[in-house]
Amino acid sequence: MEGGVFKYKAINVIELISSYSKTAVAVFSILLLSTTAVSANECDTSAQGLTSVDCGATPSATFDQNGRLWLTYVQDQHVYVSHSDDFGESYSPSVVVNKIPEDAEHNGENRPKIIVDADSNIFVSWTKKTSPRFTGEIRFSRSTDGGDTFETPRTINDDELFTGHRFESLFLTESGHMYVTWVDKRDLEANIELGKDYAGAAVYYAVSSDQGQTFSQNYRVANNSCECCRIAIAPRGPENIAILWRQIFGVTTRDHAIAVLTPDGKTMEMGRASYDDWQIDACPHHGPSMVQSGKSGDYHMSWFTNGDLHQGIYYARYSFEKASPEDVYQVDGSAGAGHPYLAEYDQTLYLVWKAFDGQQSQISLIKSIDDGKSWSVSEILRSTSQGSDHPLIVNKDDGLFLSWHSDEHGYVFEKFAGRALGLSYVE
Amino acid sequence: MLNSSLFQRTKCLDFCVASLLVLFSVAAQADNFKAFTADSFQEIKSSYEGEEFLLGLWSVDCPPCLVELEFMGKLLELNPNLPYVLVSTDPIEQREYSQEFLEDFGLTEMESWMFADSFVEKLRFSIDANWYGELPRSYFFDNEHEMKSHSGIISRELLSDWFSSSLKFQ
Repeated sequence: MEGGVFKYKAINVIELISSYSKTAVAVFSILLLSTTAVSANECDTSAQGLTSVDCGATPSATFDQNGRLWLTYVQDQHVYVSHSDDFGESYSPSVVVNKIPEDAEHNGENRPKIIVDADSNIFVSWTKKTSPRFTGEIRFSRSTDGGDTFETPRTINDDELFTGHRFESLFLTESGHMYVTWVDKRDLEANIELGKDYAGAAVYYAVSSDQGQTFSQNYRVANNSCECCRIAIAPRGPENIAILWRQIFGVTTRDHAIAVLTPDGKTMEMGRASYDDWQIDACPHHGPSMVQSGKSGDYHMSWFTNGDLHQGIYYARYSFEKASPEDVYQVDGSAGAGHPYLAEYDQTLYLVWKAFDGQQSQISLIKSIDDGKSWSVSEILRSTSQGSDHPLIVNKDDGLFLSWHSDEHGYVFEKFAGRALGLSYVE
Repeated sequence: MLNSSLFQRTKCLDFCVASLLVLFSVAAQADNFKAFTADSFQEIKSSYEGEEFLLGLWSVDCPPCLVELEFMGKLLELNPNLPYVLVSTDPIEQREYSQEFLEDFGLTEMESWMFADSFVEKLRFSIDANWYGELPRSYFFDNEHEMKSHSGIISRELLSDWFSSSLKFQ
């Protein structure tokens, strides 16, 4: 559905020009044209059978400990994994994760996730849309042979109900505990059976303590979550995690809650993380982002709201000790702004998001060098006048990369913070 | 003779292809959906010039939208002439799936549109620069096309307040 452009190294073009006659250059120019400009439409029609992140949708990416970039994306009911040893200049042939096609969700709030552990095991999760409506299953697969093959996908939700299990997130702690969290409607179903009202859905999770070989039972975190927003995860100590999600407070107020989850199924330190007073009986399709501060250990949060108190994209820092958000800051109040994503590198906090000015979508960036107390003026990293995905940030030990898919540019993976590209990478 | 036979066969082929095309076009017209592009909103407004109407935005991926569609389906049974235009924010390629939902709520006869451009920000902007994309979303236009908007499930109170004529409710 979404298109792309094949990248071509500029240096090769220069080499060609210097070493071939004008005629040869003309011939190569034609060849070049035929391989560079693959539009969204061409991905849809003439390039049938072409599997690539440019022609696929909703990629997620991560680096392994050796600096190899891994990414996963969805194309034609398959989840694929590919890798790159040159920071996205070129990619390996894609390996299919689910051999049997299934309706893997691929929209801004729903995308496959990928993690590579220290032993080079590759873990992938996604949400499979099932029938009937709003139903889904949380799917998981792993590769234990360095990405050559993937195990038959497993379903992580253990209720065996045809109901909503969607918006999964995946996180691996320092201790090696792998958490899967998701939005779950089993409690809604149970209440309907009893003839009782139940607002929204619930948040559930499961943990693997053996590199994805097995998972724990499902644990409930909270009732009455919003049913259509992704969940943000950050570490809380070596083995626990903190999660941030949109929760229904009272009858219709859809603000954010935060809690700590443990590997053995305990939910602790639950608190309210945002006070926007967004009273809405609707689907925002707009989940938050969260990273832990390297300075204070507190939690940087960014989210979207259209409440009575706040409207637009916001930032705040949450302290579990104080149990309250601090330094609440309006990042962008303009309509059309959304989907913030946070990352920290070298004691600087970075926040990207997507805005729309009436003509173009822009990926904007602001920075804070004082733990979110004050912010730089915004700069535009990229823009497009066609359809595009949400912007994501991928961390590496020497900097941060923008991961962004658009119809116009294909898959963009480029460094925007940290040491200059190429100085620190060792093959 | 040979030429004539070839001609006949070609004509037959033409006829068969034409018949197939007709069949396909009938299948393609099995729903009411029109492609919503950046100009469609103005087109809808023009078609209701001087008249009030309600625009309802929805998606199959929005549980509250289904509550609203059910409510509107019942309301339209009692008020069949209610000027109501549906716009789905799902891509028009998924029309069959969306059609199933409208069938359930008796809304297949309504004027219906589906987003037909992956640049959804532009489509949203063409309707309302102040809409953030949350669903369901309703817009009411009075006779002079003064606009009123609402996010979340539409209520009986709002509709009574918006429409100049009194509506029948269950």
